Amino acid sequence: MTPDLATQQLRKVPFFQFLDFMITELAETHAAATMPFAERLIGNPIMEYYHGGIIASFMEAVAAISVSHGPDLQPPKPINLTVDYLRPAVRGALMAEATVTRKGKRMASVRTACWQDDASRPVAEGLYHFLLV
Amino acid sequence: MPRSSRNENLHSLATDRSALQLTHPDQKKLDQIARMWNHRGRGLITEMNLKIEKVAIDGVLVRMPFNPSFCADEVKTLLHGGVLTALLDSVFGLANFVAIDGISSMATLDLRVDYLRPAKSRADVMVRAECIRQTRHIAFNSGRIWFDEPDQAEVARGAASFALTRGEVSIFDAMTQSRSSK
Repeated sequence: MTPDLATQQLRKVPFFQFLDFMITELAETHAAATMPFAERLIGNPIMEYYHGGIIASFMEAVAAISVSHGPDLQPPKPINLTVDYLRPAVRGALMAEATVTRKGKRMASVRTACWQDDASRPVAEGLYHFLLV
Repeated sequence: MPRSSRNENLHSLATDRSALQLTHPDQKKLDQIARMWNHRGRGLITEMNLKIEKVAIDGVLVRMPFNPSFCADEVKTLLHGGVLTALLDSVFGLANFVAIDGISSMATLDLRVDYLRPAKSRADVMVRAECIRQTRHIAFNSGRIWFDEPDQAEVARGAASFALTRGEVSIFDAMTQSRSSK
């Protein structure tokens, strides 16, 4: 599946429309996406930082896509998540990537990162678990 | 409709303001802090349309009305987990804002969420969050989410820690001062 096709499919999910991101890379166990800045994503109104929950949601979305993508596949069920917030995410686009570290019959474990200008300076990192059955 | 005793307690606390004011002389200030936090007028908090039901030093109770744009499915009956995570992060912020004096800013250090069951309902979402411990630099939070419906089943549970910046001027003071100078 191409990133464009995956992005098109995501339009069916109301909350993904709310986040309004695009898939930029898609491979067997990897996905990356870009989300443009928007007023509704702000958490700190004075500094105009992204909301921490939006960063976690964006990484969760990309993590789920890295685990399973295809026209008829059911989305994996999220079990839990841990997010490490490293820097504030300021006005500007936000990038996220997700890599499946282990995918078994029932469970998948995914590592994620989120950054803005410099991938070596992440704003957040995450660990997500999904149930596949 | 039958309700669990836990939620009954929370609701009686929310409505019985006179009793609260007797035991907590600062309740008016706490309510003011909560209102201020909720009326920031921008960003995700505004989109979530939160109603603050109970405000106290030992925890807050917040209601989020059902919002179809937060759903994960086309028929709009299942809330996306990310919304619950965002809700916990927000309400932890409020719990700290209310419980801790003299913080000039705070930032989420880490957040952990367990999705206990699918968030399949169009009922209002209820969030209870508390600051379980504060130190000079760190606040520790714990929270839970359920739907406002008869079985009250817990949908998610979260834990977080926040880095606090203490200052001469608290967020509360800064906001009241800037407001009164206008």
